[in-house]
Amino acid sequence: MEISPTIFIVPTGIACEIGGFAGDALPTAKLLASASGCLITHPNVMNGGNLSEKDQNIFYVEGYSLDRLAKGEIALQRVKEQKIGIIFDSAIESEILVRHLQVADACVSTLGINVHSYVVTKKPLNVVIDSDSSKISSGIIENPETLIDAGKCLIEKGVTAIAIVAKFPDDSDSLETNIYREGKGVDPISGVEAVISHLISKFLKVPCAHAPALDPIELNVNLDPRAAAEEIGYTFLPSVLIGLSNAPNIVELPNVNGLISLHPNQIESIVVPNGALGGEAVLAGIEKGLNIISVKNQNILSVTNEFYDYPNLFEVNNYLEAAGIIIAIRRGINLNSIRRPLKKIEKCFYDD
Amino acid sequence: MKLRSIDVYIDWPVTIKLKNLRKFIISILERKGDVIRWSIVDIEDSIDSYGMKKLKINAVLAN
Repeated sequence: MEISPTIFIVPTGIACEIGGFAGDALPTAKLLASASGCLITHPNVMNGGNLSEKDQNIFYVEGYSLDRLAKGEIALQRVKEQKIGIIFDSAIESEILVRHLQVADACVSTLGINVHSYVVTKKPLNVVIDSDSSKISSGIIENPETLIDAGKCLIEKGVTAIAIVAKFPDDSDSLETNIYREGKGVDPISGVEAVISHLISKFLKVPCAHAPALDPIELNVNLDPRAAAEEIGYTFLPSVLIGLSNAPNIVELPNVNGLISLHPNQIESIVVPNGALGGEAVLAGIEKGLNIISVKNQNILSVTNEFYDYPNLFEVNNYLEAAGIIIAIRRGINLNSIRRPLKKIEKCFYDD
Repeated sequence: MKLRSIDVYIDWPVTIKLKNLRKFIISILERKGDVIRWSIVDIEDSIDSYGMKKLKINAVLAN
């Protein structure tokens, strides 16, 4: 059966009921990958702190590059392994740095991942979080150039994919953090995480993903299961290294050497939470007339098809329905044939 | 390079078709800086009679 390449997006930092926590959309990604035969998704979907999984039908692509794929600017090249380098924010305390280095060593020794080397930034990144539980997670870093310089250093040493670990402010007792841990709010740091990885993707054009370095936090007996993956161990680095270990290469288009596994013209559908239709990948998909599958997945946004009236949009109640639509698209089954009532075919009339 | 996170309010006129909306937004954001991240976070129908919509964009720009 032919594949039906599908992009699966769960925007970071909008408090999605599914996927707004710690890799809690990963099972959904596996379902949609099985349905489509080829799923392209981003670290926010796949990274569950210490937990993650490889799937031969899933391309792990950072959000900025995912948008570029949807726009038709890049293609993807499947690889057996990436040579990973890690950028550590110089603001990370030495004990936490050692914890991360031991995790990297563990991923080499236990999982067989090629983690090649690391570099510490010349200056602290200085993360500034701009978030409260009522709006989307956002923020910046004050020293973006030191991040990019560190990435260039790794690439010059032969690294082909980059993990970034940034020090985040100790806000473990903050209201936003506790609300998030109990499954009720926006992940307060995820917006800045996206900015950090977007900078590497934009300026260095290699696979990348980010893990935050946080101080150990107090036990919370009211922890939501969806946030539980971030409570295992001292770092969130394993899922990033697993994801990057065979993340596809970014191939700039037009490309003449033919080493392309997935061309953007092959993409047929985008799956996105209802209310989150305002992202660049979705708008690029609409430009190309792709199928947009809008899934009820409660979040804080309300950018819906009510404002677009896009005809190739399917609104569904859950990801199980989305999987069914993808299978129908993949098999070339007319969706109207499965719905009732079934209309008679229309007669056409000549314009003149 | 300095980053800033901002909210930008844009009028979406009826003359801009949906399939041209992304490029329309980008053209406005690029006047303000190098675009790192953006998305439409809110849309409202305008109360005027021209069918214009008002977009709220959250963006991170570099200057």
